[in-house]
Amino acid sequence: RRFLDERGSSGPLAPNGLNPATILEKAVRERIVDSYFYKEQCFGVNEADIVDRVVEHVDHIGGVTGTVQKPTPFLCLAFKLLQLAPNDEILEEYLQFGGEKFKYLRALAVFYIRLTRQDKDVYLKLEPFLEDRRKLRRKGRNGVSLTYVDEFVDDLLVKDRVCATSLWKMRRRDVLEDLELLEPRVSPLGSLEDLLEERDEEMKDGEGGGMGGVRVGV
Amino acid sequence: KHWDDDDEVENEVDDTDDIDSEAEYAAWKLRELKRLKREREQIEEKERELAEVERRRNLTEEERR
Amino acid sequence: MQHQRNVGATGQVKKATAEEVHARIEALWQRQQELKREQVITLQERLEVRKE
Repeated sequence: RRFLDERGSSGPLAPNGLNPATILEKAVRERIVDSYFYKEQCFGVNEADIVDRVVEHVDHIGGVTGTVQKPTPFLCLAFKLLQLAPNDEILEEYLQFGGEKFKYLRALAVFYIRLTRQDKDVYLKLEPFLEDRRKLRRKGRNGVSLTYVDEFVDDLLVKDRVCATSLWKMRRRDVLEDLELLEPRVSPLGSLEDLLEERDEEMKDGEGGGMGGVRVGV
Repeated sequence: KHWDDDDEVENEVDDTDDIDSEAEYAAWKLRELKRLKREREQIEEKERELAEVERRRNLTEEERR
Repeated sequence: MQHQRNVGATGQVKKATAEEVHARIEALWQRQQELKREQVITLQERLEVRKE
């Protein structure tokens, strides 16, 4: 129960070497354990119960909201996952079988994986969902907005800060490619060159390219 | 349920999928294209930097002679 | 297991296996589909009533 107490914490580290107890910022952790949602919905919850909570209560992603900086159920459950430290097999259930059915479960799983897994695995696990175009509500400082699973995954891969959380600095993808830890990513759309050629031909045919400002000097 | 006291706000943004599959696909395609373009620009930037390093190295070698 | 308790996070909560997680997802999905079907039926019933 004293997960909050990081002093002399002897718990196992996450696969990326971080201490799960301190991955979320201190102020955020305090707001989470003080929140009604955490107290009433996250107590005595295991890896299977997490799915119930997501399906029942998560209808938006986000960090903290409002002037009181209230943590979202999404963030509270991410905190719970940091305590539970689900194994890869369970994460796979969240991502795939569960993720196909419940998009917010997939969103939670990708967020958790970004926080705890090694960079190479983060790319491998998350990139397939750059294809998932389902809509997500996002609640932030500027109110509620619309995003998409693919956009959220992209944010997790390239941004420094997502959902009130500073993301640990991963090596860039091209660096991992140079080290031969990753193969180049293949987009479901094919290569950019092919797409541009396609567009050029469309332009010639007078249909106009609808790809808005894609101009790359090859 | 005190934790979702501001529920109404969330309903202003509709997250229902497959209302207009074609438009949703087109919007995704545009997002994916922007990502590909960004990646490409990063690679080009890196190549430019490498070329610049190479150029400077050659310069100093000539100066040494 | 003792180690898990020492870590302290989960207390007495029994850890779930991947199979249990899978089964839970399936159950929740079935329940959701069932609720959707019921909603459709009640809507149809209401429309029926209105016709009469």
